Amino acid sequence: MKLQIKRLISQIILLFSANLGYPGYPGLKTGFCYPFFYCQACPAATSACPLRSLEQSVDKGSFTWRLFLYPLLIIGFLGVLTGRAVCSWACPIGLLQRGTGRIARKFKKFPIARKLGKHKAEKYFRYTKYFLLISLVFVTSYLIGFIFTDICPVGLLTGTIPVLILNPGKFIPNYFFPVALVIFILFIVLIFLIERGWCRYFCPVGALLGPFNKISFLHIAVNTKDCTNCNVCSYNCPMGIDVPNMHRDPECILCGKCVTACPKHQITFERR
Amino acid sequence: MFAIQVTALLLVSGSLAGMFAFTPVYEDVRSGIVLVLCLSCLKLEPKTIANFTFETVDNQPHPEFVLENLSKGPVFLHYSGDSCAGCDVMYPVIKDLFSVDFGKQDMFHTLATFENSTVAYIYVNIHHTIDQLRNAQPLYDKDHVGGIPMFTVISLGYDHGDVKPKYTTVYGTLAVYGCETDAERLAYLTQLMEESIQMYNENSAGYPHH
Repeated sequence: MKLQIKRLISQIILLFSANLGYPGYPGLKTGFCYPFFYCQACPAATSACPLRSLEQSVDKGSFTWRLFLYPLLIIGFLGVLTGRAVCSWACPIGLLQRGTGRIARKFKKFPIARKLGKHKAEKYFRYTKYFLLISLVFVTSYLIGFIFTDICPVGLLTGTIPVLILNPGKFIPNYFFPVALVIFILFIVLIFLIERGWCRYFCPVGALLGPFNKISFLHIAVNTKDCTNCNVCSYNCPMGIDVPNMHRDPECILCGKCVTACPKHQITFERR
Repeated sequence: MFAIQVTALLLVSGSLAGMFAFTPVYEDVRSGIVLVLCLSCLKLEPKTIANFTFETVDNQPHPEFVLENLSKGPVFLHYSGDSCAGCDVMYPVIKDLFSVDFGKQDMFHTLATFENSTVAYIYVNIHHTIDQLRNAQPLYDKDHVGGIPMFTVISLGYDHGDVKPKYTTVYGTLAVYGCETDAERLAYLTQLMEESIQMYNENSAGYPHH
């Protein structure tokens, strides 16, 4: 079976697994945190968003070490084993972006997109997700109680919208809704314009997983000795990485597109 | 590199296993995040009607602590939580309503005087409480919202020859009831309390626990 088909099956199975919590069908509500970005407010959610647990751990100057350490350890466990593969093999938002990627790839051919993609500031813009993680998940929650999940576009997509659809007329929007809606629209525009735009620049869970690429057992290796620098791998990379020159890049989501694309088969998954 | 990888894996998996084995973190996350949602996080407020009813969810019996407190006056159950903007909005309003003071992460219970009547006020921060109080929350979640902030007022009513606990529950920041400011929220809850005290006074003589 082709690698990308295996990945699609994995994504679909994990999407279903993440949604076994709908009351009665089968109503599985666990005390785990997802190792990816998904909202506990989804009527069918089985687990908690890791960011929610982190925010709660530092609520208004308090510190609950259990809630702080727990999501980090769950993410850390998978991170040490597989690095950021969770983003491409498990995350439902990754699956969504896989769907929008086809359109985003068309935009990639525009000269302006190429120019922006190659701009030297682009690689620094990728640090936005780390900034979001520290500022909106930890700092504002600790200092003023303002939390990322109140305006989270993924929460609106996977929590608010399904609740509104399943309970027509039973809810009214609160004061966070308009802000969250604007961010959600920007999120949708982003993922249609830039392939994996959310993962590249803004995903705080990706920021938690990324550094584990440096030490993970599973990683992607390039045989630079026999590489012809045709750059087919980089062109196919949804994260826009310069694949031949990468070494355990925190941006790599181990989707394997470069592995499949390499005409010389010089890119492989390595287990150590 | 292999040594680092193995060390990291042992450290992370050992710590995680230790947390599962020796701390209640699994239950904390389940009961405090997955089962009870923060309505601000949901970005929605439920459209509910504050009508009093005898029927608890799934007709479960009222908890003993509620029945005991009902012998002294109506019971006001205030469900709140950490990292919940709606809870933060309502927290000072409730403190004003009963003229009480307590920390947001405290467990707090008092017999408050409200317009010359006694009201048993019980504050439950869902993330810092005991099972007995936490487990009562779904019981009074009459509209199956499953979210906080949630306020339940339990009074007494007359039903087919018996005096029984009769309650209502309201949710969120009360925007659904037209309350946009703290003063409006206070006025709304005051009215709700007055109604419950009147019901209590009419029926308390027949209450078996009295």
